[in-house]
Amino acid sequence: MVGLAYDCLANPLGAVRSTFEKSMSSGADPASFSGGDWGALDVFRNFLFDQDGLSQVPILDHKTVKWIQPYTLVRFRGMIQDMLGNEVYVGAYKDGTVWRTNKYLDFSQAPMDSSADMRIWERRLLYCVPVPGLNSWAESASEATIKRRMELTSQQREKRRRADDEAADDMDLVVSNDAIEGSPSAKKMREDGHPSDSTESQESISQGASSSASFQPNVDMDSLPCLVKIYDTPESDLKLNEIFEFIGVLTFDSQPQLDKDEFDDFENAFMGDALTTLPPSTEVPHLHCFIHRKLAIHDFLQSSPMLEPKPHMVKEIRETLLRHLTDVLGNDCLAAHFVLLHLLSKVQSRVDTLAVGKFSLNLTGLSKETVSVYGTQLSLAIKNLLPFSDYLPLTVGYLNAAPFSPKKDYETNRLITGRLQLAEGTHLIIDETTMGEGNLFSVGVDNTRLLKNLTELQKMEYDFKYYKMEMAADIQLLVLSEGKSCFCPADLVLPFQPTSVGSSEVSIEALDAWRWYLATLRSLPHSIDAEIQNVIENDLVEARRADRNLGTEGFSRLLTMGRLMCMSYGETSLSLEHWQMVKELERLRRERLQ
Amino acid sequence: MGQPICTLIQNKKHSAHFVGPSSPDDSFSSPIGNTFSSPGDASGRRRRRRSTTPSTFASPPPPPSSRFAASSEGTPTPSRTRRNSTSGRRRAATPTSTDDAPPSSEGGEGFDMYEDRPTFVWGTNISVNDVKSAIVRFLKNFRNQPSQTSDGEFHLEGKYIDAIKRVLEIEGDSLDVNAHDVFDYDSDLYAKMVRYPLEVLAIFDIVLMEMVPLLEPLFEKHIQTRIYNLKTSTSMRNLNPSDIERMVSLKGMIIRCSSIIPEIREAIFRCLVCGYYSEPVPVEKGRITEPTVCLKEECQARNSMTLIHNRCRNDDLLTSPASKIRFTDKQIVRLQETPDEIPEGGTPHTVSLLMHDKLVDTGKPGDRVEVTGIYRAMTVRIGATQRTVKSLFKTYIDCLHIKKTDKSRMLVDDPMEVDNSTGGSTEDVLFDEKRVEELKELSKQPDIYDRLTRSLAPNIWELDDVKRGLLCQLFGGNALRLPSGASFRGDINILLVGDPGTSKSQLLQYIHKLAPRGIYTSGKGSSAVGLTAYVTKDPETGETVLESGALVLSDRGICCIDEFDKMSDNARSMLHEVMEQQTVSIAKAGIIATLNARTSVLACANPSGSRYNPRLSVIDNIHLPPTLLSRFDLIYLILDKADEQNDRRLAKHIVSLHFEDPESIQQDVLDLPTLIAYVSYARKHIHPQLSDEAAEELTRGYVELRRRGNFPGSSKKVITATPRQIESLLRLSEALARIRFSEVVEKHDVIEAFRLLEVAMQQSATDHSTGTIDMDLITTGISASERMRRESLLTATRNMIMEKMQLGGPSMRLLELLEELKKQSSGSGFHLNDLRNAVTTLASEGFVSLHGDTIKRV
Repeated sequence: MVGLAYDCLANPLGAVRSTFEKSMSSGADPASFSGGDWGALDVFRNFLFDQDGLSQVPILDHKTVKWIQPYTLVRFRGMIQDMLGNEVYVGAYKDGTVWRTNKYLDFSQAPMDSSADMRIWERRLLYCVPVPGLNSWAESASEATIKRRMELTSQQREKRRRADDEAADDMDLVVSNDAIEGSPSAKKMREDGHPSDSTESQESISQGASSSASFQPNVDMDSLPCLVKIYDTPESDLKLNEIFEFIGVLTFDSQPQLDKDEFDDFENAFMGDALTTLPPSTEVPHLHCFIHRKLAIHDFLQSSPMLEPKPHMVKEIRETLLRHLTDVLGNDCLAAHFVLLHLLSKVQSRVDTLAVGKFSLNLTGLSKETVSVYGTQLSLAIKNLLPFSDYLPLTVGYLNAAPFSPKKDYETNRLITGRLQLAEGTHLIIDETTMGEGNLFSVGVDNTRLLKNLTELQKMEYDFKYYKMEMAADIQLLVLSEGKSCFCPADLVLPFQPTSVGSSEVSIEALDAWRWYLATLRSLPHSIDAEIQNVIENDLVEARRADRNLGTEGFSRLLTMGRLMCMSYGETSLSLEHWQMVKELERLRRERLQ
Repeated sequence: MGQPICTLIQNKKHSAHFVGPSSPDDSFSSPIGNTFSSPGDASGRRRRRRSTTPSTFASPPPPPSSRFAASSEGTPTPSRTRRNSTSGRRRAATPTSTDDAPPSSEGGEGFDMYEDRPTFVWGTNISVNDVKSAIVRFLKNFRNQPSQTSDGEFHLEGKYIDAIKRVLEIEGDSLDVNAHDVFDYDSDLYAKMVRYPLEVLAIFDIVLMEMVPLLEPLFEKHIQTRIYNLKTSTSMRNLNPSDIERMVSLKGMIIRCSSIIPEIREAIFRCLVCGYYSEPVPVEKGRITEPTVCLKEECQARNSMTLIHNRCRNDDLLTSPASKIRFTDKQIVRLQETPDEIPEGGTPHTVSLLMHDKLVDTGKPGDRVEVTGIYRAMTVRIGATQRTVKSLFKTYIDCLHIKKTDKSRMLVDDPMEVDNSTGGSTEDVLFDEKRVEELKELSKQPDIYDRLTRSLAPNIWELDDVKRGLLCQLFGGNALRLPSGASFRGDINILLVGDPGTSKSQLLQYIHKLAPRGIYTSGKGSSAVGLTAYVTKDPETGETVLESGALVLSDRGICCIDEFDKMSDNARSMLHEVMEQQTVSIAKAGIIATLNARTSVLACANPSGSRYNPRLSVIDNIHLPPTLLSRFDLIYLILDKADEQNDRRLAKHIVSLHFEDPESIQQDVLDLPTLIAYVSYARKHIHPQLSDEAAEELTRGYVELRRRGNFPGSSKKVITATPRQIESLLRLSEALARIRFSEVVEKHDVIEAFRLLEVAMQQSATDHSTGTIDMDLITTGISASERMRRESLLTATRNMIMEKMQLGGPSMRLLELLEELKKQSSGSGFHLNDLRNAVTTLASEGFVSLHGDTIKRV
């Protein structure tokens, strides 16, 4: 693009202003587009996507926040933790004879007389936090950019990368030549096109290289929340607990904001309610969002070895992954099979109270001692496979300590997050072996009920004090317990029978392949032929005749397994072969249960 | 500021004509002069309209009433240019309309006087006179029924004239005006009112002020207009900048109330040096400028003025009413969306409400209210001392009217309480006529009963009779209260006992979603207090309050209790009272209370051995105290019977659930909202009475039921039904009639009720040893035949002991006795336990003594 009077990256507001002026000079009336876009977004869309500028936009996190300048273009990846409602602001005002806009700004830049002619517009406030349980390998994407920015300046390499980009028809699936180059954290991220000579100052880059991050447990990082201000977006686009990438102007600002107690009484009375309780921008950066997009799991992958699932490759990956899981699970092949299916599961649809497609797993027969071996191994393995995972050891004290569900605090007007406010698609291991004897108090009883609801219905209750609201969740639950878990009635109970202790060495390539495998196959569509449907129905009727205990849940479980099994081979239609495998797995499981 | 105010004064003056000679002009002159002389709002021209008009309009003598003055921080609205067009609007204003009651001629006169000066509301093309006369006409002429024939003369006066008189009688200070009435009478006025509420309401107030002395010359208070029941209600999240300065109506739940803020309206300062009292200083834009210099010429001390807080102590000033310090009550309330308005994946929105005067403390946290008010925005200054404002606005609603709404989803009105509710205004709002027609049309379908059954939890298969029972529970019977004070509940209690995996819990969940005020608890997680009520500290105030438990909360709803069998006995015993008396009595430290808990209980339980054991009696299977069981109208045993057809259908269903689009597997059923509307309409409006035929059938059926115990070939008397059952039957038949929207309980309703009872009873009260319905099984836990068997064993044992043992002779072991008995009574299956029971009975009679296993005759 030629003749751009502003730098989208360093001075996005310049772009906003100049487009605004342009549209004003062409005779548009600020009253006519009540807060709507006047063409600024097109500029950014063009810059970000057509010109591939997205990769140049630094990702905002607790590390980069130290050096990113305010009023520059940034992006933030996070989960919507709370919605703070709408904010009414002066969108446009007349400064003398000229219309000016305040859109994408916290304060008006020019001092605005209270009597000026103005237009009132509206924006939404979202409180976003980094995705809970984000594993370090998925997180390191942002660092990669910075690193690359420092490391690579040569034109040649840039060109090579660009060539790579072009080879990949999908932006999300970039073939990596750099896989050998170093730690996974330094590997290229998804949208990483050509690193730019950044216009930003980089003096204060201070983060250390996170080498071999992939095998470290997710330490409690200083997470950086962000207040995102969204413009012109239908409400239904953004939902609680969804993961988004927001691209917009950072106003991590410094404007002397006089304190609330200086307001006079009347204002104070109102202020006490909401506005002052917004986290001030000195603590939490504010991001005025131009463009947002929903992120799926594969957006967190660093690289993608394949463009589309080819059957033989998928099968190969499946074999290696299964072997890996078998190793991790102490040579318990059956458990490995179920864990594999479990890792692929997600809620497909909801019919009434039923969440179709969930497949929670309960491995029994674990004691405190064995958990420390296998549980840790398994949890590590899952951490390396999925972008978000969490580990929750249950104790009586812990259950009694704090509510798991998010709770609205009306004093601060904020939704206080709970332990179980997790993003869609998070994997959660619940370790019940640590559970001792003791009394559960009301909080504890509540928490156990929440756990049960989450397992059974994939729903989470949010406490708004005057009423509770159920929010749909999609969380893969893996329960480790000694006997059948009483807190989390999982879909499938399997006695865990390890025979050896061993861990497998895992190559980075393999990990990448597995991550890709799990992320991609999970979202495959699914169907069934009438013929096989008939077979299944007969089998189910037969099975029920044999065991009257097999009810709706049992049928559902078998069908979910069938679907997951076929998914694990990268196929979209359930075949007889896969159904037989499911039946065989079920038979073996039943043998174990006896 | 000029014109609008001037014209209003003129209006007032001319209204003196309207009022008639009885009211002297002077009565208006003083307050107006007062307001008029108040320092002009020189700083912000654009704010003048807001801050001054209302206070000018609505500042009549004694009580200060500028209800909008607090918000004088003002809204920067798009600048409205005052169009002083002299269009022919005045024509419309002259009350020459052809309304049924001709407008008073005085009005016309008044307007004529200012004919050449049409005045307009600031920035609009609304003529003040237009609006004024429209309001006058509305207030004078609006009647509820357009034509009244019977009462003639006495009801010639309009509805609102009556209302005003009522207000005067009770010395109230506000007149509630139903916006629907305004709309019906004059939709143009309604539109203006919604669009320019501040101005139109101010005119409303003026009109009232003029009318009041006409009706009651001595009445001094000022009456405010409170509009309610707007045609359209906005959802909180749809409020947007274009709604600012408009009248809106919102529903929500109060979550916080600030303490009451005394807001100063006019302040008086005193000089600390010389003691000079200043003139009252009015509040401007929410703040008062303190005089920096003493105004007394001799004094002129700088910074010596101090605010007088309590002026009344100063005796000499008490006499002059004009110089009172004036305070009004103010409160800021936060309103939050109710759960049903929140879209999936969203959090509730909140909005601030500003309450004044009488509205203060009308709602408390937790109340669901419908609020009518004006949506306003307020600038936020960067600092107190700076003129520059932030680009942000605070929005709030200036509250005009607040109405508490029912908490229940279905808005069930209990027939018992109908007499308490005042006025019919709220009754018909819920169901507009179109909807009612639809529902009635639906009810006329011959298969409505089956259709509703099908629509109930369509994803749960079979269990049709259970669903029918649940349907009856939803509709409920008529509650009855006799003059003597005895009351009969109308609520139907249902217990589902079934094998695991028979989707009981799902049924419960479904009913919970559907039911008015459904509360869902799990027996395992419920404590007695959690079900009834407990004392706790209020989170807002810190006071000790009585907090309702699940049963009380589901008053007039359905309390769903899952895992009933796993409930602690303590908690379960609380249910006894609730299920028959429908109250919860508590006696706790300092609090003794009886709370209403008119709730239907829907409970489900697993059989004691987790699966139903057909060899055991029902009681043994259910394993619940018989006292509690008898309180359930219907007890369903959901047994998982092997049936290939069912299995296949289930399999098919689940396969389709997994592999097809959930949308594509819709059946011919009513959707949930329709179902809810149907049920709630029926509950509210249909109160069926028993027809003679039905009563006869009921009697006949009951007698039959009782007689059935005497089955042929047996002389044993088995009680088959108890009076509780006849009540249950009555309730069920009433519910069945309600399903058809029928005001009469027909014979077939009763027959169906019997059938339902029998379906439930045959399963639940079948004596496993005789195969008959045996109510004793439910009520005492022992069946008649069982009792008989025990009786015979006892006799046999007694005879045996008489025969074999001497008084004071050697003792005998139980086992020996058993052997002897078995020998004697050929083959009858006596068990050691039975024998032990029998011997214990004998021992209690003093016939034998029992030590361990040895029996001794005494």
